[in-house]
Amino acid sequence: MNAPNAPNRYELYVLEEGEKPVEVSEDTKIPNAATIKVVKQDHTLANMVRGQLLSMPQVLFAGYKVPHPLHPYFLVKIQTDGTITPTAALEQACTKLIGTLSSLEAKFKREFSFKDVEGVTTEDAYGTSTTGPAWTSGRDYMDF
Amino acid sequence: MQVNDLLEPNVRIRELKKDRVNFVLENVDISFANSLRRVMMADIPTVAIDMVEFDTNTTVLPDEFIAHRLGMIPLVSTNCDEAIRYSRDCTCLESCQNCSIELILNVACHESRTMDITSNHLDVVVRGGFGWREEVDDGEEIARRSENFGHPVGKNDPSVQPVLICKIRKGQELRVRCIAKKGIAKEHAKWSPCSAVSFEYDPHNRLRHTTYWYETDIKKEWPLSANAAEEEAPLDDEPFDYNAKPQKFYFEVETDGSLGPQEVVMKGLTELQTKLANLVLGLKTDPPELDTLGGDAATQLPPANGTLPAQAAPRATGWGQEASPAGWGGAAGTPGSSAGGGGGGAGGGWGTSPTGGGTAWGGSSGSGASPPAGGWGTNTAAPAGAWGAAGSGWGTGSPPRNNTGWSSPNPQTQSGWNV
Repeated sequence: MNAPNAPNRYELYVLEEGEKPVEVSEDTKIPNAATIKVVKQDHTLANMVRGQLLSMPQVLFAGYKVPHPLHPYFLVKIQTDGTITPTAALEQACTKLIGTLSSLEAKFKREFSFKDVEGVTTEDAYGTSTTGPAWTSGRDYMDF
Repeated sequence: MQVNDLLEPNVRIRELKKDRVNFVLENVDISFANSLRRVMMADIPTVAIDMVEFDTNTTVLPDEFIAHRLGMIPLVSTNCDEAIRYSRDCTCLESCQNCSIELILNVACHESRTMDITSNHLDVVVRGGFGWREEVDDGEEIARRSENFGHPVGKNDPSVQPVLICKIRKGQELRVRCIAKKGIAKEHAKWSPCSAVSFEYDPHNRLRHTTYWYETDIKKEWPLSANAAEEEAPLDDEPFDYNAKPQKFYFEVETDGSLGPQEVVMKGLTELQTKLANLVLGLKTDPPELDTLGGDAATQLPPANGTLPAQAAPRATGWGQEASPAGWGGAAGTPGSSAGGGGGGAGGGWGTSPTGGGTAWGGSSGSGASPPAGGWGTNTAAPAGAWGAAGSGWGTGSPPRNNTGWSSPNPQTQSGWNV
């Protein structure tokens, strides 16, 4: 099993007691720019957020990186045109994505309910499950 | 991208079976589609055997070999969010009925033939059988479990082949006690509800996200995928549109039976919303925490530990009614916020799952390859796998090939910023 001193694996995705999920540090050299560190999250969130930020006209630059694959956090760097702050831009992007997800959820729900009515689910999901798999017939090395 | 914004995302289910769903997702960004894929593979909780105590093992396989095999057996995990706690959130010391399922396996061969020990021999212990090591009161989780919660998938169903654990001969015996726990695939792939998720876009390779190696004739040597029928083939003399973005994504989500395909997809969408909601919450609660130490907003911070259903319940009623004084979106009245309200009512919305913060946090795993790289049905073993990179346009990887550089749409730039 795990080495005795190995950290618990859930520490990769569960915030520690009192740990802040987000840290914002404003860029000192570039105007309207900030680097936001999001802890205990990975590409799943980062890439999606970056994609949404890039679609916003106020955002001049958005990129993310996971500095080390063993360190469970990512950094998003955002520069805006000054009409909104980078933090606000990120927040808007998230809100927009949540909206997209909810509408998608509703659509999925509708689609699934249609399929239920059609009764497709009653089909044999496992194909030819009545015939045994190849390994049950004949001898193999375990028999010797 | 601009095009994506104008069009509403759309979904069409092409096939729905007991263990799989095939659907087409349209008008979303590739990063969005990929996040959905990733979240379905790696962030949805299920139960799986996590600890095994060996009483007798006289089989040819060593203990750890069998323990590993037992862990991989899919167990029915319907409504896992509410039906079981994470052990780390539980008040018990090691395991109790609220955060685990106990199974026993007790098989001996007395005949002169080879006998199969399969998942059908695993029996869930009804409480009071073996006896828990400590007395813990029943949580409300117990009542939310379905009848066969924690049973091996397909047990007592003749149409489903059981999972072979070991073969024994006369005189051999296997007697073990297993503790199944709740977890997600980021911790171990055995907790993934998906056996495969295939993800494809641009079957004609119009976007040139991949390059096909060929001997003499590219068309003969690279047969088109079945999804090619969904899109028009490009003309031979068609100029390359370097601004084009993938629009249509072909998914097939195949589950191992622990959860139904519908539950996997819906939970995946909810999970993504939870992640985003927690990010927004983190952004919101940052400043107030500085001046007014504590306060409601601060306590609402996703408490990673402590699945307090009581706390989750009020959140279920709607968008952060008490989450933070400022409310959620600065962007009131965007289509996003109105649609979100609807979704919240329907699917449970974000942050409604009793597991709250617990599930919400997904950390990067060492296994993480380039996220959008998808590939042909990436396998449970590699949740972030970038399998068929060479594959024929099947989920050809795009942005961050380079994990360390700022991910950029063109993976070649090793650490260039990307816009």
